[in-house]
Amino acid sequence: MDRATVATLTAPGSYFEAFEVGAVMKHARGKTVEPLENVLITNLVMNTAAGHFDEHMMKTAPFGRRVVFGGVTTALVVGMASQDTAENALAEIGMTGLRLKSPVFHGDTLYAYTEVVAKEEAEREDAGIVTFRHFGVNQDNVVVCECVRRVLVKRASHWRPA
Amino acid sequence: MLGTQIRRGLRAGVTRVAGGFAFDMTSDFLKTAVPVPKGNHFEAFEIGRRFEHHWGRTLRNSEAALFSTLTLHFNPLYFNREYAIALGHPETPVNPLMVFTLVLGLSVEDLSEVGGAFLGVDDLAYEAPVYPDDTLTARSTVTGLRESSSNAMMGIATWHTEGFNQRGERVISFVRTNMVPRARPRQDAGAENAQQETAQ
Repeated sequence: MDRATVATLTAPGSYFEAFEVGAVMKHARGKTVEPLENVLITNLVMNTAAGHFDEHMMKTAPFGRRVVFGGVTTALVVGMASQDTAENALAEIGMTGLRLKSPVFHGDTLYAYTEVVAKEEAEREDAGIVTFRHFGVNQDNVVVCECVRRVLVKRASHWRPA
Repeated sequence: MLGTQIRRGLRAGVTRVAGGFAFDMTSDFLKTAVPVPKGNHFEAFEIGRRFEHHWGRTLRNSEAALFSTLTLHFNPLYFNREYAIALGHPETPVNPLMVFTLVLGLSVEDLSEVGGAFLGVDDLAYEAPVYPDDTLTARSTVTGLRESSSNAMMGIATWHTEGFNQRGERVISFVRTNMVPRARPRQDAGAENAQQETAQ
């Protein structure tokens, strides 16, 4: 695959140059969390805490039902934000300040919001580093998670044919 | 001999109910079963204690693509092989969020299986790409222990967790903090309660 073809697969608006510090995005797609996401991913990554997959046991626990694994909530919120923030990412660099602020249950619908926090030079000249703050909220606009994430993003100047 | 006993016990403990068979919870068979507990309570942790977590896991290509598509993580790097090769990779790398959740998952039985809220993660760094058919293992070190001010049955533990590939290269590290239930109430909390009761 040559560079011209690579450039046809992603949108022009998600290169490093396009991000403005201070901009806040509401991402287009929400997702209702079902056992499909929570139980499948929890089991796939071998998180053995049964409170995420034993509904019978959880009926007598304080929440009265299974709780979604925070790693699944995080992956969904970052995922829902990714087309607009990392479609042109060369790499995920890291994450900090991840806080799971409110429990998520099957049937809850999550939406993702992102603030562009900072832009900086990278070691390689064909990309730059963008810092995002992501927020995940449920159907009642209660914040369920937030995190700060750093991503290495292609520069259009190097990756899009003139 | 043992097999005969088990079969006899099963027969004695099983009763016919509408739609099938059910165990009778008063039968000797179920009453003699010994629970096999999993996980550690707060008392098991001390600063510096290291856990080499169980199992390890070889990640495969299709499950990595499934993780990205299921979480709507639309960066073609993780599910378009030709695109990944054009960006300089030998193969589609595994979505780093999957590496994170897997390494955390491998740590759960040792660190957080007994329950208590997952509070957060700091200082997460993806240190090397992970590719399909790489095998990851995990280890953690206890770095922080605090009492919960509001709940004598809970502590707050912080661990430094690291994930490694089959060559021993570190691919991820992060610091996780959880509420962790205690096996027994905090002793000084018991003393406070006793004093309060005396005062009343």
